[in-house]
Amino acid sequence: MKRFFVICKMILRLFLRDFYSFFFTLAFPVFLLFLFGSIYGNAPIDHETAFGIMDISVPAYSVMVIGVNGLMSLPLTLSGFKEKKIYKRFDATPVGKKQILWAQVCIHVMMTLIGIAILLLLGFLYYHIQIKGSFLSICIGILVSIAALFSIGFLFTAVGHDLKSTSILCYSFYFIMLFLSGATMPDTLFPEPLKTISNLLPMTYAVDLMQGLFLKDSLFQCGMEISVLVILTVISTVIGACLYRKKDWT
Amino acid sequence: MNQTIIVKVENLQITYPHCHAVDNISFSVHSKEIVAVIGQNGAGKTSTVECIEGLRKPDSGLIHVFGKDPWLCRSEVYKEMGVQLQEAQYPSKIKVEELCQLFASFYERAADWNTLLVQLGLDEKRKQMVQKLSGGEKQRLSILLSLMGRPKLLILDELTTGLDPEVRATMWCSFENIRDNGVSIIMVSHYMDEVETLADKILYLEKGKQCFFGTQKEFRAYAKLRIGKEEWDDRLSLEKLYLMMTPKTSTLTMEGIL
Repeated sequence: MKRFFVICKMILRLFLRDFYSFFFTLAFPVFLLFLFGSIYGNAPIDHETAFGIMDISVPAYSVMVIGVNGLMSLPLTLSGFKEKKIYKRFDATPVGKKQILWAQVCIHVMMTLIGIAILLLLGFLYYHIQIKGSFLSICIGILVSIAALFSIGFLFTAVGHDLKSTSILCYSFYFIMLFLSGATMPDTLFPEPLKTISNLLPMTYAVDLMQGLFLKDSLFQCGMEISVLVILTVISTVIGACLYRKKDWT
Repeated sequence: MNQTIIVKVENLQITYPHCHAVDNISFSVHSKEIVAVIGQNGAGKTSTVECIEGLRKPDSGLIHVFGKDPWLCRSEVYKEMGVQLQEAQYPSKIKVEELCQLFASFYERAADWNTLLVQLGLDEKRKQMVQKLSGGEKQRLSILLSLMGRPKLLILDELTTGLDPEVRATMWCSFENIRDNGVSIIMVSHYMDEVETLADKILYLEKGKQCFFGTQKEFRAYAKLRIGKEEWDDRLSLEKLYLMMTPKTSTLTMEGIL
């Protein structure tokens, strides 16, 4: 366990020294929070629900934090380690690459949770965002979203045969999902064809789930979103694992 | 001399889609022995040592390292084996001392890496990022990390590539000392002066096939047979012998360039 802790410390250092991972996990969502917060504020947009723009946006920004780690930072880190044969070097030690891989997953999950916590804290402090859902159901929602988006990222790493092709997959899917899932702008503003595309994107279900759980719904009322995300997790993990086994890690 | 067998390879075969990379290789490494694996590019040297390192699964044949299958018992074997890989890199945004600390945590009885940093001339670079090191410094760091677990078997793939002559000579002395202290070494090398200085035995591969395995004296006798008595001279260096023996590659002429 002590050895795993030392490995995690090293992976955390590498995460914090990587400008893009650090910026897009911790700084960019906060920047968006203050940018849109200063433009729209958090006054209720209708009298029925009494929710403001920030009440709706913060859960969506949380999904953005999950997406940036699961669909960009982690897969690109794994792919870079593989391409430079860094895993091979760790395989030539008593530790092996599995502990390194698990440490990378743990640190990215931890940084995702820290990113979400900072976002929520600043949302509370500056815009008094409301959270109606229970703490437990929100935690489950976050973990289900993390599992789904991280497993899709894992699939990208397995499909891409080098860092370049994995980067193309990650960047294209992440930015399409970022803009069309409702993570940065509400999907109610989309025209019908965009809404159809949006409904095909995994991140849309994560955004709907988080908004539902933050604002009103119980886990049971979000059954459809949870089911889609769990099915995606299983499919991506199974296909990813099969492809990985066929790959030459050396 | 009653020496323990540390590595045993029997009828090793590795096949790639279009060729036999390694074809029926057998040899053994005893304690306190340096075995040099030599041969031209693509002869199967790295594939062979990667099987011993447990990083590549052989298609057939038997490999035992400390009596265990390195592919199946990799973590067990690595408690007593250190390797320096030909191409592997380290995370670029990590400092030299952080990488040493990390590797030290992998072993129950890690080497004193602070002393090794001084001995390998890397003490002043301890706060430097690995990516900022020169080629030779990276190579020395790689050697340091291979020694981290106080290994009883060292596998060095192109030990002194990228090192300047002074450091190479120091390395040779160091590895002779290491061998004399009970460590067995398998080294892959293209430098015949290095092989001549260090190796107790030579494994010579040609296009995946084992052409020779034995002592340096036996290798000279084998070379004499291959070269022919007319061209033979007892004073020929190992490098010269090797060049005379190995299949010739075509020469680059100005014709293709101009």
